[in-house]
Amino acid sequence: MKESYVDLINIRRQVFAKIAKMAYDGSDLSELEKSSFEILPGEVAIYRDSIFKERAIVEERIRLTMGLDARKPSEYHRITDGISEVDVDKAQFIEPLVNVITHACEACPTKAFFVTDNCRKCLAHPCTNVCPTNAVSIGKNRANIDQDKCIKCGRCKETCPYSAIVKYERPCAEACGVNAIDSDYLGRAQINKDRCVSCGRCITYCPYGAISDKSQIYQLIKSLKTNNHMYAIIAPSFLGQFGPLASPVQIFEGIKQLGFEDVVEVSLGADITTLHEAKEFLERVPDEIPYMGTSCCNSWTLMVKKLFPDQFDYISDSSSPMVETAKYIKKKDPKAKITFIGPCISKKLEALREDVKDYVHFVITYEELMGMFVAKDIELSEIEVSKEIQDASTLGRGYAIAGGVAEAVKKTALIIDPSREINVEGVSTLHECVKLMKIAKAGKKNGYLLEGMACPGGCIAGPGTIASMNRVKKAVIDFKNQSEYKTPFDNNIIDEKLRNK
Amino acid sequence: MKVKVCVGSNCTLLGSMNILDQIDDLKEIISEDLDNYNDEELEVEVVKCLGFCKETNEKVAPIVVIDDEPMFNATGQTVMEKIINKMRK
Repeated sequence: MKESYVDLINIRRQVFAKIAKMAYDGSDLSELEKSSFEILPGEVAIYRDSIFKERAIVEERIRLTMGLDARKPSEYHRITDGISEVDVDKAQFIEPLVNVITHACEACPTKAFFVTDNCRKCLAHPCTNVCPTNAVSIGKNRANIDQDKCIKCGRCKETCPYSAIVKYERPCAEACGVNAIDSDYLGRAQINKDRCVSCGRCITYCPYGAISDKSQIYQLIKSLKTNNHMYAIIAPSFLGQFGPLASPVQIFEGIKQLGFEDVVEVSLGADITTLHEAKEFLERVPDEIPYMGTSCCNSWTLMVKKLFPDQFDYISDSSSPMVETAKYIKKKDPKAKITFIGPCISKKLEALREDVKDYVHFVITYEELMGMFVAKDIELSEIEVSKEIQDASTLGRGYAIAGGVAEAVKKTALIIDPSREINVEGVSTLHECVKLMKIAKAGKKNGYLLEGMACPGGCIAGPGTIASMNRVKKAVIDFKNQSEYKTPFDNNIIDEKLRNK
Repeated sequence: MKVKVCVGSNCTLLGSMNILDQIDDLKEIISEDLDNYNDEELEVEVVKCLGFCKETNEKVAPIVVIDDEPMFNATGQTVMEKIINKMRK
Protein backbone atom coordinates (compact mmCIF):
# COMPACT_ATOMS: atom_id res chain seq x y z
CA MET A 1 0.00 0.00 0.00
CA LYS A 2 1.25 3.47 -0.82
CA GLU A 3 2.84 4.62 2.45
CA SER A 4 1.34 8.09 2.41
CA TYR A 5 -2.20 6.61 2.26
CA VAL A 6 -2.07 6.32 6.03
CA ASP A 7 -5.82 6.02 6.76
CA LEU A 8 -6.34 3.39 4.10
CA ILE A 9 -3.44 1.37 5.41
CA ASN A 10 -4.90 1.51 8.90
CA ILE A 11 -8.32 0.27 7.88
CA ARG A 12 -6.96 -2.44 5.63
CA ARG A 13 -4.52 -3.82 8.19
CA GLN A 14 -6.93 -3.60 11.11
CA VAL A 15 -9.17 -5.94 9.16
CA PHE A 16 -6.29 -8.41 8.70
CA ALA A 17 -5.51 -8.35 12.42
CA LYS A 18 -9.20 -8.71 13.29
CA ILE A 19 -9.80 -11.74 11.06
CA ALA A 20 -6.53 -13.33 12.18
CA LYS A 21 -7.56 -12.88 15.81
CA MET A 22 -10.97 -14.42 15.18
CA ALA A 23 -9.29 -17.38 13.50
CA TYR A 24 -6.83 -17.93 16.34
CA ASP A 25 -9.56 -17.52 18.98
CA GLY A 26 -11.88 -19.85 17.11
CA SER A 27 -14.64 -17.21 17.32
CA ASP A 28 -18.08 -18.02 15.97
CA LEU A 29 -18.30 -16.51 12.51
CA SER A 30 -21.70 -14.99 13.24
CA GLU A 31 -19.64 -12.38 15.09
CA LEU A 32 -18.63 -11.00 11.71
CA GLU A 33 -22.01 -9.23 11.75
CA LYS A 34 -20.71 -6.77 14.33
CA SER A 35 -17.04 -6.61 13.38
CA SER A 36 -17.36 -3.51 11.21
CA PHE A 37 -18.88 -1.83 14.25
CA GLU A 38 -15.92 -2.83 16.38
CA ILE A 39 -13.43 -1.53 13.82
CA LEU A 40 -15.37 1.72 13.36
CA PRO A 41 -17.20 2.48 16.63
CA GLY A 42 -19.22 5.59 17.43
CA GLU A 43 -21.45 7.61 15.15
CA VAL A 44 -19.12 10.20 13.68
CA ALA A 45 -17.64 9.45 10.29
CA ILE A 46 -13.86 9.75 10.09
CA TYR A 47 -13.02 8.68 6.58
CA ARG A 48 -16.08 9.17 4.40
CA ASP A 49 -19.29 11.17 4.44
CA SER A 50 -21.15 8.79 6.74
CA ILE A 51 -20.23 6.19 9.34
CA PHE A 52 -22.75 3.80 7.79
CA LYS A 53 -21.02 3.93 4.43
CA GLU A 54 -17.66 3.46 6.13
CA ARG A 55 -18.93 0.36 7.89
CA ALA A 56 -20.56 -0.99 4.75
CA ILE A 57 -17.23 -0.75 2.96
CA VAL A 58 -15.31 -2.29 5.85
CA GLU A 59 -17.77 -5.19 5.70
CA GLU A 60 -16.73 -5.83 2.10
CA ARG A 61 -13.08 -5.75 3.18
CA ILE A 62 -13.93 -8.31 5.82
CA ARG A 63 -15.59 -10.53 3.21
CA LEU A 64 -12.61 -10.24 0.85
CA THR A 65 -10.22 -11.01 3.71
CA MET A 66 -12.30 -14.10 4.48
CA GLY A 67 -11.83 -15.06 0.82
CA LEU A 68 -15.41 -14.25 -0.23
CA ASP A 69 -16.58 -12.02 -3.06
CA ALA A 70 -17.55 -8.45 -2.28
CA ARG A 71 -21.32 -8.00 -2.42
CA LYS A 72 -23.15 -6.01 -5.06
CA PRO A 73 -24.94 -3.00 -3.58
CA SER A 74 -27.96 -3.92 -5.69
CA GLU A 75 -28.48 -7.35 -4.14
CA TYR A 76 -29.44 -8.35 -0.63
CA HIS A 77 -26.85 -10.48 1.13
CA ARG A 78 -25.82 -10.81 4.74
CA ILE A 79 -22.13 -10.29 5.47
CA THR A 80 -21.91 -13.99 6.31
CA ASP A 81 -23.57 -15.29 3.13
CA GLY A 82 -21.43 -18.05 1.67
CA ILE A 83 -19.30 -18.26 4.81
CA SER A 84 -19.52 -22.03 5.22
CA GLU A 85 -17.66 -22.40 1.94
CA VAL A 86 -14.63 -20.53 3.30
CA ASP A 87 -14.82 -21.79 6.88
CA VAL A 88 -12.34 -24.54 6.05
CA ASP A 89 -8.69 -25.32 6.63
CA LYS A 90 -7.51 -25.11 3.05
CA ALA A 91 -7.22 -22.21 0.64
CA GLN A 92 -10.70 -21.76 -0.79
CA PHE A 93 -10.11 -19.41 -3.61
CA ILE A 94 -12.94 -17.78 -5.49
CA GLU A 95 -11.83 -15.85 -8.56
CA PRO A 96 -11.33 -13.01 -9.31
CA LEU A 97 -8.42 -12.14 -7.06
CA VAL A 98 -8.58 -8.37 -7.57
CA ASN A 99 -11.97 -6.83 -6.80
CA VAL A 100 -13.50 -3.39 -6.99
CA ILE A 101 -15.63 -2.66 -3.92
CA THR A 102 -18.24 -0.91 -6.04
CA HIS A 103 -19.73 1.36 -3.40
CA ALA A 104 -16.26 2.49 -2.31
CA CYS A 105 -15.39 3.59 -5.84
CA GLU A 106 -16.04 7.30 -6.37
CA ALA A 107 -16.23 6.99 -10.16
CA CYS A 108 -13.32 9.33 -10.82
CA PRO A 109 -13.46 10.85 -14.31
CA THR A 110 -11.28 9.13 -16.88
CA LYS A 111 -8.24 10.67 -18.49
CA ALA A 112 -8.74 14.27 -19.53
CA PHE A 113 -7.06 17.68 -19.71
CA PHE A 114 -8.65 20.45 -17.65
CA VAL A 115 -8.13 24.19 -17.56
CA THR A 116 -7.76 25.49 -14.00
CA ASP A 117 -8.25 28.92 -12.41
CA ASN A 118 -4.64 29.76 -13.23
CA CYS A 119 -5.76 30.59 -16.77
CA ARG A 120 -5.59 34.33 -17.54
CA LYS A 121 -7.08 34.15 -21.04
CA CYS A 122 -3.80 35.62 -22.21
CA LEU A 123 -3.40 37.41 -25.47
CA ALA A 124 -1.02 34.86 -26.91
CA HIS A 125 -3.21 31.89 -25.92
CA PRO A 126 -0.72 29.30 -27.21
CA CYS A 127 -3.03 26.55 -25.95
CA THR A 128 -5.43 27.15 -28.82
CA ASN A 129 -2.62 27.64 -31.32
CA VAL A 130 -0.93 24.30 -30.70
CA CYS A 131 -4.03 22.10 -30.50
CA PRO A 132 -4.03 19.69 -33.45
CA THR A 133 -7.81 19.16 -33.29
CA ASN A 134 -8.92 22.71 -32.62
CA ALA A 135 -10.41 21.59 -29.33
CA VAL A 136 -9.26 24.59 -27.27
CA SER A 137 -11.09 27.86 -27.43
CA ILE A 138 -11.06 30.93 -25.21
CA GLY A 139 -14.24 31.09 -23.18
CA LYS A 140 -15.72 33.76 -20.95
CA ASN A 141 -13.52 33.18 -17.91
CA ARG A 142 -10.81 30.88 -19.17
CA ALA A 143 -9.82 28.57 -21.99
CA ASN A 144 -12.18 25.71 -22.70
CA ILE A 145 -11.29 22.24 -23.88
CA ASP A 146 -13.92 20.48 -25.94
CA GLN A 147 -13.62 16.99 -24.48
CA ASP A 148 -15.26 15.42 -27.55
CA LYS A 149 -12.62 16.84 -29.85
CA CYS A 150 -9.62 16.46 -27.51
CA ILE A 151 -7.23 13.62 -28.43
CA LYS A 152 -5.27 13.99 -25.14
CA CYS A 153 -1.93 14.79 -26.75
CA GLY A 154 -1.05 17.22 -23.95
CA ARG A 155 0.37 19.97 -26.20
CA CYS A 156 -1.77 22.69 -24.58
CA LYS A 157 -0.55 21.69 -21.13
CA GLU A 158 3.08 21.85 -22.22
CA THR A 159 2.84 25.25 -23.82
CA CYS A 160 0.82 27.14 -21.19
CA PRO A 161 3.05 29.75 -19.50
CA TYR A 162 0.88 29.77 -16.35
CA SER A 163 0.75 26.01 -15.74
CA ALA A 164 -3.00 26.45 -16.03
CA ILE A 165 -3.76 23.16 -17.74
CA VAL A 166 -3.57 19.91 -15.82
CA LYS A 167 -3.72 16.33 -16.91
CA TYR A 168 -6.18 14.31 -14.96
CA GLU A 169 -6.33 10.55 -14.81
CA ARG A 170 -8.03 8.09 -12.50
CA PRO A 171 -5.25 6.74 -10.35
CA CYS A 172 -6.22 3.09 -10.84
CA ALA A 173 -6.15 3.37 -14.62
CA GLU A 174 -2.92 5.32 -14.63
CA ALA A 175 -1.26 2.71 -12.43
CA CYS A 176 -2.43 -0.17 -14.61
CA GLY A 177 0.21 -1.25 -17.11
CA VAL A 178 -2.09 -3.43 -19.18
CA ASN A 179 -5.06 -1.13 -19.62
CA ALA A 180 -7.37 -3.38 -17.65
CA ILE A 181 -9.52 -0.72 -15.96
CA ASP A 182 -12.87 -0.15 -17.65
CA SER A 183 -15.94 1.66 -16.33
CA ASP A 184 -19.34 0.31 -15.36
CA TYR A 185 -22.63 2.05 -16.17
CA LEU A 186 -22.14 4.52 -13.30
CA GLY A 187 -18.59 5.31 -14.30
CA ARG A 188 -17.08 3.22 -11.53
CA ALA A 189 -13.94 1.22 -12.15
CA GLN A 190 -14.39 -2.28 -13.45
CA ILE A 191 -11.60 -4.74 -14.01
CA ASN A 192 -11.25 -6.37 -17.38
CA LYS A 193 -10.42 -9.96 -16.48
CA ASP A 194 -9.03 -10.76 -19.91
CA ARG A 195 -6.29 -8.18 -19.50
CA CYS A 196 -5.68 -8.02 -15.72
CA VAL A 197 -2.54 -9.83 -14.56
CA SER A 198 -3.15 -9.25 -10.84
CA CYS A 199 -0.04 -7.16 -10.24
CA GLY A 200 -1.92 -5.17 -7.56
CA ARG A 201 -0.87 -1.66 -8.66
CA CYS A 202 -4.48 -0.43 -8.72
CA ILE A 203 -4.99 -1.69 -5.15
CA THR A 204 -1.98 0.33 -4.05
CA TYR A 205 -2.89 3.50 -5.90
CA CYS A 206 -6.64 3.95 -5.42
CA PRO A 207 -6.95 6.92 -3.00
CA TYR A 208 -10.35 5.63 -1.84
CA GLY A 209 -9.16 2.12 -1.11
CA ALA A 210 -11.85 0.85 -3.45
CA ILE A 211 -9.86 -2.04 -4.89
CA SER A 212 -8.75 -5.01 -2.84
CA ASP A 213 -7.50 -8.55 -3.26
CA LYS A 214 -8.72 -11.59 -1.37
CA SER A 215 -6.87 -13.14 1.51
CA GLN A 216 -6.36 -16.66 2.80
CA ILE A 217 -5.29 -15.87 6.37
CA TYR A 218 -8.44 -17.26 7.96
CA GLN A 219 -8.10 -20.66 6.28
CA LEU A 220 -4.35 -20.64 6.86
CA ILE A 221 -4.72 -20.09 10.61
CA LYS A 222 -7.37 -22.79 10.80
CA SER A 223 -4.94 -25.14 9.16
CA LEU A 224 -2.08 -24.04 11.43
CA LYS A 225 -4.16 -25.00 14.44
CA THR A 226 -4.61 -28.62 13.39
CA ASN A 227 -1.83 -29.59 10.98
CA ASN A 228 1.72 -30.39 12.13
CA HIS A 229 3.25 -30.27 8.69
CA MET A 230 2.89 -26.56 8.00
CA TYR A 231 5.94 -24.88 6.48
CA ALA A 232 6.48 -21.23 5.61
CA ILE A 233 8.69 -20.05 2.79
CA ILE A 234 9.51 -16.37 2.77
CA ALA A 235 10.43 -14.26 -0.25
CA PRO A 236 13.84 -12.51 -0.61
CA SER A 237 12.25 -9.11 0.04
CA PHE A 238 11.26 -9.93 3.64
CA LEU A 239 14.16 -8.00 5.17
CA GLY A 240 13.22 -4.90 7.10
CA GLN A 241 9.48 -5.39 6.50
CA PHE A 242 8.51 -6.03 10.12
CA GLY A 243 10.13 -3.08 11.84
CA PRO A 244 13.73 -1.89 12.17
CA LEU A 245 14.33 -3.88 15.36
CA ALA A 246 13.22 -7.29 14.06
CA SER A 247 16.24 -9.28 12.87
CA PRO A 248 15.90 -11.91 10.12
CA VAL A 249 16.22 -14.76 12.58
CA GLN A 250 13.66 -13.18 14.94
CA ILE A 251 11.26 -12.96 12.00
CA PHE A 252 11.81 -16.67 11.30
CA GLU A 253 11.26 -17.55 14.93
CA GLY A 254 8.16 -15.37 15.12
CA ILE A 255 6.70 -17.19 12.12
CA LYS A 256 7.29 -20.49 13.89
CA GLN A 257 5.43 -19.15 16.91
CA LEU A 258 2.43 -18.67 14.63
CA GLY A 259 2.26 -22.44 14.28
CA PHE A 260 4.68 -23.26 11.48
CA GLU A 261 7.01 -26.23 11.72
CA ASP A 262 9.85 -24.51 9.90
CA VAL A 263 10.71 -21.52 7.72
CA VAL A 264 12.90 -21.55 4.60
CA GLU A 265 14.20 -18.67 2.49
CA VAL A 266 12.70 -18.55 -1.00
CA SER A 267 16.14 -17.33 -2.06
CA LEU A 268 17.08 -21.02 -1.91
CA GLY A 269 14.54 -21.65 -4.67
CA ALA A 270 15.95 -18.60 -6.41
CA ASP A 271 19.34 -20.33 -6.50
CA ILE A 272 17.72 -23.40 -8.04
CA THR A 273 15.80 -21.29 -10.59
CA THR A 274 19.06 -19.51 -11.44
CA LEU A 275 20.81 -22.80 -12.19
CA HIS A 276 17.92 -23.98 -14.37
CA GLU A 277 17.57 -20.71 -16.23
CA ALA A 278 21.32 -20.36 -16.81
CA LYS A 279 21.49 -23.84 -18.35
CA GLU A 280 18.30 -23.26 -20.29
CA PHE A 281 19.63 -20.01 -21.73
CA LEU A 282 22.90 -21.60 -22.80
CA GLU A 283 21.11 -24.53 -24.42
CA ARG A 284 18.20 -22.81 -26.13
CA VAL A 285 19.34 -19.31 -27.13
CA PRO A 286 19.76 -18.59 -30.01
CA ASP A 287 19.22 -21.98 -31.73
CA GLU A 288 15.82 -22.95 -30.36
CA ILE A 289 14.44 -19.59 -29.23
CA PRO A 290 15.57 -16.09 -30.27
CA TYR A 291 15.70 -14.68 -26.74
CA MET A 292 14.70 -15.80 -23.27
CA GLY A 293 12.53 -14.07 -20.69
CA THR A 294 12.87 -14.82 -17.00
CA SER A 295 10.02 -16.69 -15.35
CA CYS A 296 9.92 -15.65 -11.71
CA CYS A 297 7.49 -12.70 -11.83
CA ASN A 298 4.03 -14.15 -12.31
CA SER A 299 2.43 -10.93 -13.52
CA TRP A 300 5.12 -10.52 -16.16
CA THR A 301 4.67 -14.06 -17.49
CA LEU A 302 0.86 -13.69 -17.36
CA MET A 303 1.16 -10.44 -19.28
CA VAL A 304 3.21 -12.14 -22.00
CA LYS A 305 0.73 -15.02 -22.13
CA LYS A 306 -2.28 -12.72 -22.42
CA LEU A 307 -0.94 -9.93 -24.62
CA PHE A 308 1.85 -11.64 -26.58
CA PRO A 309 0.75 -15.29 -26.82
CA ASP A 310 3.03 -16.03 -29.78
CA GLN A 311 6.05 -14.99 -27.68
CA PHE A 312 5.14 -17.04 -24.63
CA ASP A 313 7.39 -19.94 -25.69
CA TYR A 314 10.37 -17.64 -25.20
CA ILE A 315 9.72 -17.27 -21.48
CA SER A 316 11.84 -19.67 -19.47
CA ASP A 317 10.26 -23.02 -18.60
CA SER A 318 11.98 -23.04 -15.22
CA SER A 319 9.77 -23.00 -12.17
CA SER A 320 9.70 -19.88 -10.02
CA PRO A 321 11.72 -19.62 -6.79
CA MET A 322 8.48 -20.07 -4.84
CA VAL A 323 7.81 -23.41 -6.52
CA GLU A 324 11.41 -24.62 -6.32
CA THR A 325 11.57 -23.88 -2.60
CA ALA A 326 8.28 -25.71 -2.05
CA LYS A 327 9.54 -28.71 -4.03
CA TYR A 328 12.66 -28.81 -1.86
CA ILE A 329 10.54 -28.99 1.30
CA LYS A 330 8.10 -31.47 -0.20
CA LYS A 331 11.02 -33.82 -0.93
CA LYS A 332 11.98 -33.79 2.74
CA ASP A 333 8.42 -34.03 4.10
CA PRO A 334 5.90 -35.42 1.60
CA LYS A 335 3.06 -34.41 3.93
CA ALA A 336 4.20 -30.79 3.93
CA LYS A 337 1.64 -28.01 3.48
CA ILE A 338 3.49 -24.95 2.28
CA THR A 339 2.70 -21.25 2.73
CA PHE A 340 4.44 -18.65 0.60
CA ILE A 341 4.88 -15.31 2.38
CA GLY A 342 5.81 -12.44 0.11
CA PRO A 343 5.25 -8.94 -1.18
CA CYS A 344 3.21 -10.23 -4.08
CA ILE A 345 -0.46 -10.91 -4.68
CA SER A 346 0.07 -12.41 -8.12
CA LYS A 347 1.61 -15.44 -6.41
CA LYS A 348 -1.88 -16.17 -5.05
CA LEU A 349 -2.83 -16.94 -8.66
CA GLU A 350 0.38 -18.77 -9.49
CA ALA A 351 -0.33 -21.13 -6.60
CA LEU A 352 -3.59 -22.18 -8.28
CA ARG A 353 -1.87 -23.42 -11.44
CA GLU A 354 -2.21 -27.14 -12.11
CA ASP A 355 1.56 -27.66 -11.96
CA VAL A 356 1.93 -25.62 -8.75
CA LYS A 357 -1.12 -26.39 -6.59
CA ASP A 358 0.32 -29.58 -5.10
CA TYR A 359 3.38 -27.70 -3.83
CA VAL A 360 2.12 -24.34 -2.63
CA HIS A 361 -1.03 -24.43 -0.51
CA PHE A 362 -1.36 -20.90 0.85
CA VAL A 363 -0.06 -17.51 -0.21
CA ILE A 364 -0.09 -14.48 2.08
CA THR A 365 1.58 -11.08 2.02
CA TYR A 366 3.83 -9.37 4.57
CA GLU A 367 0.92 -7.10 5.51
CA GLU A 368 -1.24 -10.11 6.22
CA LEU A 369 1.55 -11.80 8.18
CA MET A 370 1.98 -8.65 10.29
CA GLY A 371 -1.74 -8.86 11.07
CA MET A 372 -1.16 -12.40 12.30
CA PHE A 373 1.75 -11.32 14.53
CA VAL A 374 -0.49 -8.67 16.09
CA ALA A 375 -3.37 -11.13 16.54
CA LYS A 376 -1.04 -13.55 18.33
CA ASP A 377 0.62 -10.78 20.38
CA ILE A 378 4.05 -11.64 19.05
CA GLU A 379 6.74 -9.00 19.56
CA LEU A 380 9.48 -9.98 17.12
CA SER A 381 12.18 -7.78 18.61
CA GLU A 382 11.76 -9.44 22.00
CA ILE A 383 12.27 -13.01 20.81
CA GLU A 384 15.50 -14.49 22.10
CA VAL A 385 17.17 -16.61 19.49
CA SER A 386 20.69 -16.96 18.21
CA LYS A 387 21.01 -18.77 14.94
CA GLU A 388 22.15 -17.94 11.49
CA ILE A 389 20.07 -18.26 8.38
CA GLN A 390 22.11 -19.69 5.52
CA ASP A 391 19.67 -21.10 2.99
CA ALA A 392 20.79 -19.19 -0.06
CA SER A 393 23.61 -17.54 -1.98
CA THR A 394 24.28 -13.83 -2.41
CA LEU A 395 22.87 -14.04 -5.94
CA GLY A 396 19.68 -15.77 -4.82
CA ARG A 397 19.05 -13.15 -2.16
CA GLY A 398 19.42 -10.49 -4.82
CA TYR A 399 16.24 -11.58 -6.64
CA ALA A 400 14.21 -9.09 -4.62
CA ILE A 401 15.72 -6.04 -6.31
CA ALA A 402 15.07 -5.24 -9.98
CA GLY A 403 17.98 -6.51 -12.06
CA GLY A 404 18.86 -9.17 -9.53
CA VAL A 405 17.39 -12.11 -11.41
CA ALA A 406 19.14 -11.38 -14.69
CA GLU A 407 22.38 -10.68 -12.85
CA ALA A 408 22.21 -14.05 -11.10
CA VAL A 409 21.37 -15.94 -14.29
CA LYS A 410 24.04 -14.16 -16.31
CA LYS A 411 26.80 -14.64 -13.75
CA THR A 412 25.87 -18.29 -13.33
CA ALA A 413 25.73 -18.91 -17.08
CA LEU A 414 29.17 -17.31 -17.46
CA ILE A 415 30.59 -19.65 -14.82
CA ILE A 416 29.36 -22.59 -16.92
CA ASP A 417 30.51 -21.13 -20.22
CA PRO A 418 32.85 -18.13 -19.89
CA SER A 419 33.11 -17.81 -23.66
CA ARG A 420 29.50 -16.76 -24.12
CA GLU A 421 28.49 -13.16 -24.51
CA ILE A 422 25.19 -12.53 -22.79
CA ASN A 423 23.23 -9.34 -23.26
CA VAL A 424 20.78 -8.49 -20.55
CA GLU A 425 17.90 -6.08 -20.42
CA GLY A 426 15.67 -5.64 -17.40
CA VAL A 427 12.61 -3.50 -16.81
CA SER A 428 10.42 -3.05 -13.78
CA THR A 429 6.83 -1.75 -14.05
CA LEU A 430 4.19 -3.38 -16.15
CA HIS A 431 4.13 -0.43 -18.57
CA GLU A 432 7.82 -0.99 -19.27
CA CYS A 433 7.33 -4.75 -19.52
CA VAL A 434 4.74 -4.27 -22.27
CA LYS A 435 7.06 -1.87 -24.12
CA LEU A 436 9.97 -4.30 -23.87
CA MET A 437 7.85 -7.15 -25.23
CA LYS A 438 6.80 -5.04 -28.22
CA ILE A 439 10.46 -4.44 -29.02
CA ALA A 440 11.34 -8.10 -28.45
CA LYS A 441 8.48 -9.20 -30.67
CA ALA A 442 9.87 -6.98 -33.42
CA GLY A 443 13.05 -9.05 -33.25
CA LYS A 444 15.20 -6.32 -31.73
CA LYS A 445 16.19 -8.24 -28.60
CA ASN A 446 17.42 -11.44 -30.18
CA GLY A 447 20.12 -13.16 -28.16
CA TYR A 448 19.05 -11.31 -25.03
CA LEU A 449 18.13 -12.42 -21.56
CA LEU A 450 15.10 -10.31 -20.63
CA GLU A 451 14.13 -9.72 -17.05
CA GLY A 452 10.57 -8.56 -16.52
CA MET A 453 9.27 -7.36 -13.16
CA ALA A 454 5.79 -5.93 -12.75
CA CYS A 455 6.56 -3.82 -9.67
CA PRO A 456 8.64 -0.63 -9.97
CA GLY A 457 12.03 -1.48 -8.48
CA GLY A 458 11.31 -5.19 -8.24
CA CYS A 459 9.68 -7.30 -5.53
CA ILE A 460 10.82 -4.88 -2.82
CA ALA A 461 8.05 -2.59 -4.07
CA GLY A 462 5.33 -5.22 -4.16
CA PRO A 463 1.76 -4.39 -3.15
CA GLY A 464 1.93 -6.50 0.03
CA THR A 465 4.95 -4.75 1.54
CA ILE A 466 5.00 -2.79 4.80
CA ALA A 467 8.30 -0.90 4.74
CA SER A 468 9.32 1.65 2.13
CA MET A 469 11.40 0.48 -0.79
CA ASN A 470 14.59 2.27 0.28
CA ARG A 471 14.41 0.80 3.75
CA VAL A 472 13.99 -2.72 2.38
CA LYS A 473 16.62 -2.28 -0.29
CA LYS A 474 19.26 -1.47 2.30
CA ALA A 475 18.25 -4.43 4.44
CA VAL A 476 18.25 -6.82 1.46
CA ILE A 477 21.74 -5.74 0.39
CA ASP A 478 22.95 -6.16 3.94
CA PHE A 479 21.50 -9.67 4.15
CA LYS A 480 22.92 -10.59 0.72
CA ASN A 481 26.38 -9.77 1.97
CA GLN A 482 25.94 -12.04 4.98
CA SER A 483 25.50 -15.13 2.82
CA GLU A 484 28.20 -17.77 3.03
CA TYR A 485 27.72 -18.70 -0.60
CA LYS A 486 28.65 -16.40 -3.44
CA THR A 487 26.83 -18.24 -6.21
CA PRO A 488 24.29 -21.09 -6.42
CA PHE A 489 27.18 -23.47 -7.17
CA ASP A 490 28.48 -22.97 -3.62
CA ASN A 491 25.09 -23.61 -2.02
CA ASN A 492 25.51 -27.13 -0.72
CA ILE A 493 21.84 -27.52 0.20
CA ILE A 494 21.13 -27.86 -3.52
CA ASP A 495 21.31 -31.24 -5.22
CA GLU A 496 24.80 -31.84 -6.57
CA LYS A 497 23.53 -33.01 -9.93
CA LEU A 498 21.96 -29.65 -10.56
CA ARG A 499 25.14 -27.87 -9.47
CA ASN A 500 27.13 -29.84 -12.04
CA LYS A 501 28.68 -27.43 -14.49
CA MET B 1 15.14 16.89 21.41
CA LYS B 2 14.54 13.23 21.82
CA VAL B 3 11.97 11.43 19.67
CA LYS B 4 11.16 7.82 20.40
CA VAL B 5 9.21 5.91 17.78
CA CYS B 6 7.62 2.67 18.96
CA VAL B 7 8.15 -0.14 16.46
CA GLY B 8 6.30 -2.84 18.35
CA SER B 9 4.07 -5.12 16.29
CA ASN B 10 0.92 -3.05 16.54
CA CYS B 11 2.66 0.24 15.79
CA THR B 12 4.53 -1.32 12.85
CA LEU B 13 1.28 -2.70 11.47
CA LEU B 14 -0.27 0.75 11.61
CA GLY B 15 2.54 2.71 10.03
CA SER B 16 5.37 3.54 12.44
CA MET B 17 7.99 3.00 9.74
CA ASN B 18 6.32 5.63 7.60
CA ILE B 19 6.55 8.06 10.52
CA LEU B 20 10.26 7.25 10.80
CA ASP B 21 10.75 7.91 7.09
CA GLN B 22 8.96 11.23 7.44
CA ILE B 23 11.12 12.28 10.39
CA ASP B 24 14.17 11.46 8.27
CA ASP B 25 12.83 13.72 5.53
CA LEU B 26 12.27 16.41 8.11
CA LYS B 27 15.95 16.39 9.03
CA GLU B 28 16.62 17.37 5.45
CA ILE B 29 14.13 20.22 5.56
CA ILE B 30 15.77 21.51 8.76
CA SER B 31 19.31 21.16 7.46
CA GLU B 32 18.43 23.26 4.41
CA ASP B 33 17.18 26.09 6.58
CA LEU B 34 19.47 26.05 9.63
CA ASP B 35 19.13 29.75 10.40
CA ASN B 36 15.53 29.34 11.46
CA TYR B 37 16.02 26.42 13.79
CA ASN B 38 17.75 26.17 17.12
CA ASP B 39 20.91 24.12 17.47
CA GLU B 40 19.31 21.37 19.48
CA GLU B 41 20.02 17.97 18.02
CA LEU B 42 17.11 15.91 16.76
CA GLU B 43 17.73 12.52 18.24
CA VAL B 44 15.51 9.72 16.92
CA GLU B 45 15.34 6.38 18.63
CA VAL B 46 13.37 3.32 17.61
CA VAL B 47 12.07 1.49 20.65
CA LYS B 48 10.49 -1.86 21.39
CA CYS B 49 6.81 -2.07 22.29
CA LEU B 50 6.13 0.49 25.04
CA GLY B 51 3.09 -1.46 26.19
CA PHE B 52 0.54 1.37 25.95
CA CYS B 53 -1.77 -0.51 23.59
CA LYS B 54 -1.78 -3.55 25.82
CA GLU B 55 -3.09 -1.55 28.78
CA THR B 56 -6.19 -0.29 27.00
CA ASN B 57 -8.93 -1.40 24.64
CA GLU B 58 -8.85 1.94 22.88
CA LYS B 59 -6.95 2.24 19.65
CA VAL B 60 -3.72 4.12 20.49
CA ALA B 61 -1.09 2.86 18.00
CA PRO B 62 1.13 4.14 16.52
CA ILE B 63 2.87 5.76 19.46
CA VAL B 64 5.62 8.37 19.38
CA VAL B 65 7.18 9.88 22.48
CA ILE B 66 8.62 13.38 22.14
CA ASP B 67 10.70 14.51 25.13
CA ASP B 68 8.88 12.06 27.41
CA GLU B 69 5.44 13.16 26.22
CA PRO B 70 3.60 10.30 24.50
CA MET B 71 1.51 10.95 21.39
CA PHE B 72 -1.23 8.40 20.70
CA ASN B 73 -2.54 7.58 17.22
CA ALA B 74 0.50 9.43 15.94
CA THR B 75 0.64 10.37 12.31
CA GLY B 76 3.47 11.77 10.23
CA GLN B 77 1.96 15.22 10.11
CA THR B 78 1.22 15.55 13.84
CA VAL B 79 4.71 14.31 14.76
CA MET B 80 6.46 16.53 12.23
CA GLU B 81 4.45 19.56 13.32
CA LYS B 82 5.38 19.00 16.94
CA ILE B 83 9.06 18.61 16.14
CA ILE B 84 9.14 21.66 13.88
CA ASN B 85 7.33 23.82 16.43
CA LYS B 86 9.72 22.81 19.16
CA MET B 87 12.78 23.43 17.05
CA ARG B 88 11.85 26.56 15.18
CA LYS B 89 13.40 29.73 16.58
